[in-house]
Amino acid sequence: MQRNESLWVEKYRPKKKEDIMGNEEAKELFVEWLKNKRHTKKAVLLYGPPGVGKTALVNAVANEFNYNVIEMNASDTRSEKAINLLAKPATSYTALDNFTKTKETKGNVLFLDEVDGIAGNEDRGGVNAIIKIVEKSLVPVIMAANNPEIDKLRPLKKVCLLIRFQQVRIPLVIALLQKICITENIKAEFEALERIAQNSRGDVRSAINDLQSLSEENHILTIQDTIILNSRNKDISMDDTLRGFFSAQSIAEASNLLRYSNVDYDEFILTVSDNLPKRYSNNEELSCAYDYVSQADVFRGRVGFENWHLLKYFYNSLAQAAAVNPNSYKPFTFITPPIKIITLFWTKSKRTILGNICNKIGVKCHVSQDKAKSEFVPFIKSMLDKKKAHPILAWFNFTAEEVNFLNEMKRF
Amino acid sequence: MIVLNKNAFKLPRVEKEKFVNLLRLGLEYNRDKNVYLIKSYNNIEKLMDTISSILGVEVVFLQNCIRCGKDFPCKECNYKDLCATKNLPFSCVCPQCLRNMKPKQDTLVDF
Repeated sequence: MQRNESLWVEKYRPKKKEDIMGNEEAKELFVEWLKNKRHTKKAVLLYGPPGVGKTALVNAVANEFNYNVIEMNASDTRSEKAINLLAKPATSYTALDNFTKTKETKGNVLFLDEVDGIAGNEDRGGVNAIIKIVEKSLVPVIMAANNPEIDKLRPLKKVCLLIRFQQVRIPLVIALLQKICITENIKAEFEALERIAQNSRGDVRSAINDLQSLSEENHILTIQDTIILNSRNKDISMDDTLRGFFSAQSIAEASNLLRYSNVDYDEFILTVSDNLPKRYSNNEELSCAYDYVSQADVFRGRVGFENWHLLKYFYNSLAQAAAVNPNSYKPFTFITPPIKIITLFWTKSKRTILGNICNKIGVKCHVSQDKAKSEFVPFIKSMLDKKKAHPILAWFNFTAEEVNFLNEMKRF
Repeated sequence: MIVLNKNAFKLPRVEKEKFVNLLRLGLEYNRDKNVYLIKSYNNIEKLMDTISSILGVEVVFLQNCIRCGKDFPCKECNYKDLCATKNLPFSCVCPQCLRNMKPKQDTLVDF
């Protein structure tokens, strides 16, 4: 059987938008944007996890509506110079565009794939160059990214229409795999396809690759053949992890979610701790949940940076806090980030000023900053209140801002 | 638990701030019919949380089957625990349609 000649992800690359599984709303919105000549936003940013059809949608829709796609992806250098060299002519000169325009083609679209990967010295000035191109472009500009939350893309997001792509649901992936099996004349157990789809965690590209690699070796694809598949870790955001964690119906569900998520454990445990009173209205349940969180915190301390084998105990303890009473769950608005981090953020400037004051005292009096803070600052504050501190303030060489801070300081 | 249809659903009258927040999160309000519909899905999880907090109960959306066009709830699905978009209003394949694709003889698919 000659079925291994090409990659199936290429062979079954969608030709029409209907061929793309899932994300119907995103597809409609994108097509509507592309059809509309008077775009409210000149560029569109498609974002979402890998393998959900962002690039495929652009190519399929361009193919369907007869656009020429001028593409730059992560394999190209995307510095300001490189972008201007390729993208500027493609987006600025309508004469050339009109020349190539025929009944068959509607013109160009500029497609910048994986814009969140623009980083480092090689791609210096890339984002600014894109923004300038978007502002002046005469053709639609389309971008795709996995993670639009990175700081570098913030200015880019302001000039773009944002369209979010979700993970493709498991039944849809199974349906697609079955379609491929029919075309490729492969015998496969339903459970095997189910396992491949579950393992892909919404990544259609990886599911198709898995199916191809497994069917190359096996005449009939069975559930036994899929055992070699490794589970794929996916980034689950803090919000999604919290939502799943608090709504979990069992310890296993909450524990699995933690295992798959890549959130910072210390921040997560603080956030859980802050949100627990919103989750449990019953005092006994709340107290029980806090006990489990405290246990989890102990395990987190023991895990440290090397004893990762203890992480399962951390997961289990924390998961128990989520499942004290699964039936009592009512949705609520989360406190994120945790209050401790918010407080640190708001008090940063004050802490910096106090640090400078303590530093100056430390230098003059030969004491540590801690000692200056606990033993010297209260006395200076008290002298300031009695308006007898002028010579001392001059000796320490405090600035007006530091004196104001000492005047307004309330507690010690 | 309240089951909503994404095409049109009613909410009790809310304060101005909450109403503005709902529109910011992606809802559209039809004044003539006095119903809401979802315009943008970018903040769908936050939108669901806000609707739930307004109604005071858990809110779930019906799913639409791409095969038979039928609306169905996520609780009927075998993969709900693994789904990242559980109860959100997106298209899917209903368990019946998925089951019908299964072969009748044993579990082996022979296409």
